[in-house]
Amino acid sequence: MATKNESKNNWDFFNRIITDVDENWNIIQCISCGKCVGDCPASKISDFNIRKIVEKVLIGDESILKEEDIWYCFLCNKCSKICPKEGINIPLFILSLRNEAFKKGYNIPQLKKYVKMCKRFLENGTVMKESDLPTERIEEIKKICEFARIKYLHKASKKNIGIEE
Amino acid sequence: MEGYIKSVVLDTDEILQTYNDNPLDFFKDKKICLFKACLEYYYPGIRTCLKSMLEDFDLQVSTSLEQSCCSGTFLQRNLITRAQFAAINERNIVSINEIADILIVSCNGCYLSLLRGRKFLNSKDIREKTTKILKEFKKDILFSPKLKIVHILDFLHLIREQIGERLKYSLNGLKCAVHYGCHYLNLLLDKKDIHSFIAPKNKLEDILTILGGSIIEYQERDSCCGWGASQNVIHRDEALQITFNKLKSAESAGAELLVTNCPTCLYSLNKFRDDMKDLFGESPQIPAVHINELIGVLMEYECDKYCIERILPLIEELKI
Ligand code: SF4
Ligand code: SF4
Repeated sequence: MATKNESKNNWDFFNRIITDVDENWNIIQCISCGKCVGDCPASKISDFNIRKIVEKVLIGDESILKEEDIWYCFLCNKCSKICPKEGINIPLFILSLRNEAFKKGYNIPQLKKYVKMCKRFLENGTVMKESDLPTERIEEIKKICEFARIKYLHKASKKNIGIEE
Repeated sequence: MEGYIKSVVLDTDEILQTYNDNPLDFFKDKKICLFKACLEYYYPGIRTCLKSMLEDFDLQVSTSLEQSCCSGTFLQRNLITRAQFAAINERNIVSINEIADILIVSCNGCYLSLLRGRKFLNSKDIREKTTKILKEFKKDILFSPKLKIVHILDFLHLIREQIGERLKYSLNGLKCAVHYGCHYLNLLLDKKDIHSFIAPKNKLEDILTILGGSIIEYQERDSCCGWGASQNVIHRDEALQITFNKLKSAESAGAELLVTNCPTCLYSLNKFRDDMKDLFGESPQIPAVHINELIGVLMEYECDKYCIERILPLIEELKI
């Protein structure tokens, strides 16, 4: 039987996910029917199982933040379309989990592959090599992204502190 | 549909009610802007062919010099916040609103970003943060912009009869498979409206039929192209399995051409054929094209070499 303490911890995790995006509250309606897993591309190529991930958040199991699984989601929305419940938005929910993982520093290998794209976006306003965006607009983008993770990644690429392109 | 989205989406059903005979008439006095998608860099024909067609119809077309990338890829990786993402997209809308009435978007990802940015604005917290960011550049959120946004498929479908009348060549029964892409097929916005949710999505088939193609059904029609929000950057070998299955499924159903409406999907469906050979021992041969490129070739517009490379051999073979 769960002690008072344990149940407090459980809801802590869930609450953080809702604080990030209030729509995430809807996962409480999940009836574990598993429809979301049937046609999920991430499940076809990895151990990713969205039904189990929802369940783990509901019981407060934070171990999923450390695992590679949450980084396999294609954000394709197939699951949300097929889910019998009205407001469950899996891509947003996954983004919140990734956000939590970021906060805990569990995501470094993922970042490495993004350095080049971040650099181009902040220096050109596009993820491609060339751009004709006026300098003022590029400055705006840099400003919008001030303090965002993308900026740190960009700085890391300049200082060459172990994050390769 | 919620406020900030509804006020920016072009209502094609309404246009049909007034301009049923020739929906192009609705666009005659409108300024049209084409949204620049990053992956058009590899497939320039997606924009040039569409531009040629619109000019052929005597419509006023431009692109915005101030438009930046939609930043969807960074939101998906949690590298920017929702407010920053909404600001980047709203800033593009503000710029384009100054020069155009209609914005045509030929990429599922960019379309989703523009709409998703607007959806985020329905939250008070995000709206306040976005307003604060935009204020720094003396810009403001437009609750009801003059600009209306339309997805390329909705636009082409609306004027498909008029496209049919202009064709120089027909596909002559060429067997075509379609790929819509997840962010067209699974838009959650549709779930709120039961009619659009259950309605079959077959605009691409309708357009291809007018171009003279015959439609091939295949098992993996609705599956992902394998891009999967950069899965083919992050977990490349695994994600390519999804791409491979899709291409093989279309091929084994007898399709000779795979037609899509998204440059990102197109990239994913085309670019990794050699890697597939290494990984799975064979490389699917079916060419993939964007619907804009296909229309461009059939209308005999000047196309880039990448476009020609993929489409022309088929056309020559058919002696169209
Ligand atoms: S959004 Fe993620 S969980 Fe849902 S079907 Fe796609 S890959 Fe699976
Ligand atoms: S389809 Fe919806 S209700 Fe069913 S298990 Fe998945 S998230 Fe839960």
